Amino acid sequence: MQRVAVYGGGVAAVMAALAIARAFARLGTEVTWVDTGEAPPPHAALVAPPDLATFHRLLGIDEAALARQAAATFNMGQQYAGWSGGEAAFLHAYGDAGTPYASLPFVQHWARARAAGLRVGLEDFCLAAAAAKEGRTGERGEATGQAVKRGWHLDAGGYARLPRDACEKAGVRIVPGRDAVSERDGTELAALTLADGQRIAADLFVDADGVLIAALDPGGAEQKPPLCDRVLRASGAPFDPLPLYSRTAAHPAGWTTLIPLADRTAVEFFYDSRQLSDTDARSALTAMIGRPVEGNAEPVGAMTRARLWVGNVVAIGGAAGDAPPLDGADLLLLQLAIAQLVLLWPLDRAAMPEADIYNEEIGGGRARVRDFTAQHFRLNARSEPFWAAARAAPVSSELASKIDLFAARGMFAHYNHEAHVEDGWALVMAGHGVVPRGFDPQALQVDDPALMAEFQRQLRAVATDVRAMDTHADALRRLWA
Amino acid sequence: MDEGLFNLVIVGGGTAGWMCAAACAAKLDRSRFRVRLIESEEIGTVGVGEATLPQMKDFNDFLGLDEVEFMQATQASFKLGIEFVNWGRQGDRYVHPFGTFGRPIGEADFFSYWVRGRNAGVAAPLSDYCFPIVAALQNRFMLPNGDPNDVRNAFAYAYHLDAFLYARYLRGWAEARGIERVEGRIVDVARDANSGNIAAVTLASGTSVAGDMFVDCSGFRSLLLGGTLGVDLDDWSKWLPCDSAAAVPSVRSTDFTPYTRSTRRKAGWQWRIPLQHRTGNGYVYASKDISDDEAAATLLANLDGEALAEPRVLRFKAGKRDQAWAHNVVGMGLAGGFLEPLESTSIYLVQMAIMHMLTLLPSCDGIDPALPAEFNRVMDVEYDRIRDFLILHYIANDADAPLWEQVTTMNVPDTLAGKIDRFRQRAFVQAYRDGLFGPPSWQAVFVGQGIVPHAADRLADTLPDDLLADRLGNLAATITLGAKSAPSHADFVASYCPAPAP
Repeated sequence: MQRVAVYGGGVAAVMAALAIARAFARLGTEVTWVDTGEAPPPHAALVAPPDLATFHRLLGIDEAALARQAAATFNMGQQYAGWSGGEAAFLHAYGDAGTPYASLPFVQHWARARAAGLRVGLEDFCLAAAAAKEGRTGERGEATGQAVKRGWHLDAGGYARLPRDACEKAGVRIVPGRDAVSERDGTELAALTLADGQRIAADLFVDADGVLIAALDPGGAEQKPPLCDRVLRASGAPFDPLPLYSRTAAHPAGWTTLIPLADRTAVEFFYDSRQLSDTDARSALTAMIGRPVEGNAEPVGAMTRARLWVGNVVAIGGAAGDAPPLDGADLLLLQLAIAQLVLLWPLDRAAMPEADIYNEEIGGGRARVRDFTAQHFRLNARSEPFWAAARAAPVSSELASKIDLFAARGMFAHYNHEAHVEDGWALVMAGHGVVPRGFDPQALQVDDPALMAEFQRQLRAVATDVRAMDTHADALRRLWA
Repeated sequence: MDEGLFNLVIVGGGTAGWMCAAACAAKLDRSRFRVRLIESEEIGTVGVGEATLPQMKDFNDFLGLDEVEFMQATQASFKLGIEFVNWGRQGDRYVHPFGTFGRPIGEADFFSYWVRGRNAGVAAPLSDYCFPIVAALQNRFMLPNGDPNDVRNAFAYAYHLDAFLYARYLRGWAEARGIERVEGRIVDVARDANSGNIAAVTLASGTSVAGDMFVDCSGFRSLLLGGTLGVDLDDWSKWLPCDSAAAVPSVRSTDFTPYTRSTRRKAGWQWRIPLQHRTGNGYVYASKDISDDEAAATLLANLDGEALAEPRVLRFKAGKRDQAWAHNVVGMGLAGGFLEPLESTSIYLVQMAIMHMLTLLPSCDGIDPALPAEFNRVMDVEYDRIRDFLILHYIANDADAPLWEQVTTMNVPDTLAGKIDRFRQRAFVQAYRDGLFGPPSWQAVFVGQGIVPHAADRLADTLPDDLLADRLGNLAATITLGAKSAPSHADFVASYCPAPAP
């Protein structure tokens, strides 16, 4: 793989170019990034999952720079409000759902106690959730022994510009260009010719735009009907104090997400245009943020591709399919894709058996990530037509089994390629109101008084650990210093 | 039946039955669960020397058994892996270890560096980078030393034991903890007319034993699952044609190996399992390719100690019941499926079935369909993975006899064919969270059977050649030195867990 061309813009192209150059420039690989100039839409913000910190370290992206250039704030989870009707909200926090006890996952004890009348939610035993709600953040808890993870809220435009310098430093040749015309060589791509006549030949093409994969796999994109076909973005005043979580609130015809950034609050309104007109959506959003909404609604798709690596073209980012619109799925999927591409870096220009492996691994990962978001819609309890249709939409057999098993036993049906942790699933399903009908009978070895004492101990430990944590403002200040 | 008391009935008292009973004794609240085990002195169990996997220690720890006491009670010795002799080509030997190869030396996994070092001519054989293999081949053993930075901690261990004695030991343990043993032979099974569930079994004495849930540990007969409920066996003998075994104990030899040995033979393979006071031996064979007499004669001619009995012949068929849990019956051990003991997976599969059944055990209100669905899903995954791993041993060998011509040219399951291609092409082994077998196991057997990848992860190429040679050399030296510090297996067992002569 002597020559690699990355084609496209946005976050995906620059991240891929940087990752490839940092891994393989040492081996003589030349990376050219054809920057199509496509930038994230105005007002867009990203919910970055916790594992991104590791990824940033690999890419040499400095956290202080992230904070400065992408107006970053810490992200400890996503709050969902009103999904079961009414005002109730829950937090999908990045941490343990209670501390395991008597050699069993905590959720088993919780399910048992719920059946006996306990009213405390699973989330109350989760240190990450309790800390986030108190505006405090840290990495772990001594008293609970629970892990706490955190990601970021990021300004998408600032984040996309951030790795440019690092790219140049890593030896990436950045070529502005657009309207690429593909030059095929049998089942492969030989070169691109750009609008200005420049010809870029390469052994491997990474396509963040979609035009290259479409040239090699023209029938490969499947358009599925999205639940919401429009998104309207805007910005509101920043929160003070800054929350440690984003908030996604159900609306009769869609949902709104507030993403707290250091200098503004990013607002996304996803809606179904069959249920709500663009004009009404704009009025609703204007009323919500208390300032006029500029710009127009953008279409939202739900495209999927069966094959993401075809011949010598690998589709990433939006070219690989539309990410689910919640749960930080876009960055999670991008990170999985880039890490897998580096791991499966082709050995040989002539034959690329890596393509099949990549398609299986990333295809599986994408399916599990889609399932994670689909559970919100499957489990919603609202009555409007939009929500009734969302509830009735078909789900994968894997998701159906996961929900069935959790509802029956509070257990997690683990498949290959899981991208979200077990306790994350438990917090979300419990948050949506699924209370397991039964529990592991081994939990009965603990007698009632001992269990009650343990519950009280855990709740106290959560409170102790929360008190020992930094406020969000302190944590950000430390980052800036 | 008492209101609110859940009746669990275990049918059959072999290794599977008593393992299940012991787990119930350890983990179920007896004020809510009544657990009975029905067995008959008239029916023998299939107790030959057993080799196990490291997960067995987890099971014993789960019960809370004392390791020394357990090893003394079962004539147990330690096991660091399995040596395969004459597999691949006549004269070849390799070990599938219970440990990892190497240690991380850069951004890629160790195996990728080894492939690169091998191509560059600077790597020793893969086994030199694996502490449990180096120690095992010198007949040395030690417990992992607990230091995460020490090669002498990068392994796990299993046991060789007398499975019959293990069952007997667990019986005492379980009965002392309130499990009721019911003596008797089952002559009739009554089903509930509406649900089709098994309501009760009737013993020869006329006693009826009713239950909410039945665990079928009746061995190959699969009395309830295969018999009463008619759940079919998914027949895998087209891939695993061995259907018989001749087994015989022999006098313990001086070669007290901390590993099992499997030697490839004309119509199958021969096992050697060292226990404290004898050695277990057996010839697993395809009866279409050799007569029982010839198999027994071959076995007797290839012992390293005097035979202590006449060879005993067992018959089996490779496969798995379509559902391990149907209605209110869970099949475990041979009643649920059979895979030849080439990778010592029998007790592991029982253990997995027990652990999953315990967490998924229904309540008195009936069986939520999500529970058997999950049980059957995870057990299918276990069986399928082991099946593919076993077949891998068969496909890459000299075609030096009819059986070996057959298995080296057969079509393998698609799932395995893909794995082989991917390994050959670029050393890819898919990692999964739970279950057998992890990447080091696949790497050991692939390479041992002569399937060596041309290249591996490109990330390994970023380490300069001289550094690579240094690091490989240092690692092998550290492992050699570490192995020398371990006592002999015989001495270790004699001081740690000496069993009285039987």
